[in-house]
Amino acid sequence: MPHGPDDGAAAASFEEALLALVPGLRRYSRSLTRTDADGEDLLQDCVEAALARRAQWRGANLRSWAFTIMTNLFRNRYRAMMRRPTAAIEEAEQVALADDDGDPLERTRIRAALEALTPDYRTTLMLVVVEGYSYQETADMMRVPIGTVMSRLSRARHQLASRLAQDNIVPLRRSK
Amino acid sequence: MIQATGTVGENDLHAFVDGLLDEGRRAEVEAWLQTNPQDAERVASWSSQNERIREVFARDFVSRGSDAEMLRRNRQSLGSRFTRPAIAAAAALLIFAAGFGSGRLTMATTAPPSGAATASLAQEARSAFLVYTSEVRHPVEVAADQQDHLAAWLGKRLDYRLRLPDLSALGYSLVGGRLLPVGGQPGALLMYQNAGGQRLTIIVGRNAEHRETSFRLDTDGPVRTFYWIDGTIGYAVTGEIPADELRAVADECYRQMEEA
Repeated sequence: MPHGPDDGAAAASFEEALLALVPGLRRYSRSLTRTDADGEDLLQDCVEAALARRAQWRGANLRSWAFTIMTNLFRNRYRAMMRRPTAAIEEAEQVALADDDGDPLERTRIRAALEALTPDYRTTLMLVVVEGYSYQETADMMRVPIGTVMSRLSRARHQLASRLAQDNIVPLRRSK
Repeated sequence: MIQATGTVGENDLHAFVDGLLDEGRRAEVEAWLQTNPQDAERVASWSSQNERIREVFARDFVSRGSDAEMLRRNRQSLGSRFTRPAIAAAAALLIFAAGFGSGRLTMATTAPPSGAATASLAQEARSAFLVYTSEVRHPVEVAADQQDHLAAWLGKRLDYRLRLPDLSALGYSLVGGRLLPVGGQPGALLMYQNAGGQRLTIIVGRNAEHRETSFRLDTDGPVRTFYWIDGTIGYAVTGEIPADELRAVADECYRQMEEA
């Protein structure tokens, strides 16, 4: 088969598969970032990077590959952000953005507790809890030993628990 | 990471909460928690954390109308990496374009400004395979323990008497299934798994154009799809397994679904 069309078809199917992964990538980016806008930015950067690095994809698991890219982008971005002054006003904006899906107070509370975690702890927790990756997969994606994943997970959970306990409010379970 | 039988360490408690233990170990941890109230309390607290976090971010798992546009914009910014002629040729290769209906996924990358974009059955099957087989917790909507309900439900949405193939002779058992759009219409995804945890998917969708095809193979890296159209129904079997094994699965599906 001629080389060109094959490349084109592969590119098309790659983008198709990537498009199908966007909802998951959006959730992951949102679970790492402070605001919806930051989440969309990170998502866009990730899509752009994935398209640019398509040649590096070895055809194994596209989802893990794309999530690894986002994990690295988040880490880099966070480092860059630390060099700029940050606005502390964003919590108010989040309350204003509250939606009809779920308890806005609960969202704010969980988000605020997550903000207090270091980026590495938060990333670990989100990959395991929200995205359902195993500890080994998480270790591979973050390029750390599995023991590091376990200790980050443990500290993240303890910090989160004490933070949420300070709120001293028992969340009402939303009926589905 | 996992300790010897008899003792349960903190790592076991995490793995328990995260659903990462096998059944045997899970039972051991459960037994341990009966007699270790402090650990039981930690487990309860972490489980509740997990649920609250998942619930907060569940609403972000959405696709937006602008997603395809975002991909297109980003790829354009990459310059001439993918040339137009290659794209046109790619579009020409999407042989199921015509058959697989209107409202299908818009693939802005291959779309001329006014024209409809296409997603072939094989591509949809591969996307679904990549997305759903990698889900650890929720790979399917209805699990295999409700087979009758699954077949009736998906069959109803497809308006077709859906028979769930029995692939046990080939070492694969049913995980379950879900509803998903195929060519813009309700379609069915069935997932199977072998003892080694290797998963494969079967997609069944409506084909607007009445016709028949032989088996066709579509390969993208290690992921292969066998697909065929039989009248108004299209089938696609996708897996990350050798072509001859996948072909055996496709043959078996064809045989059993024909009988339906």
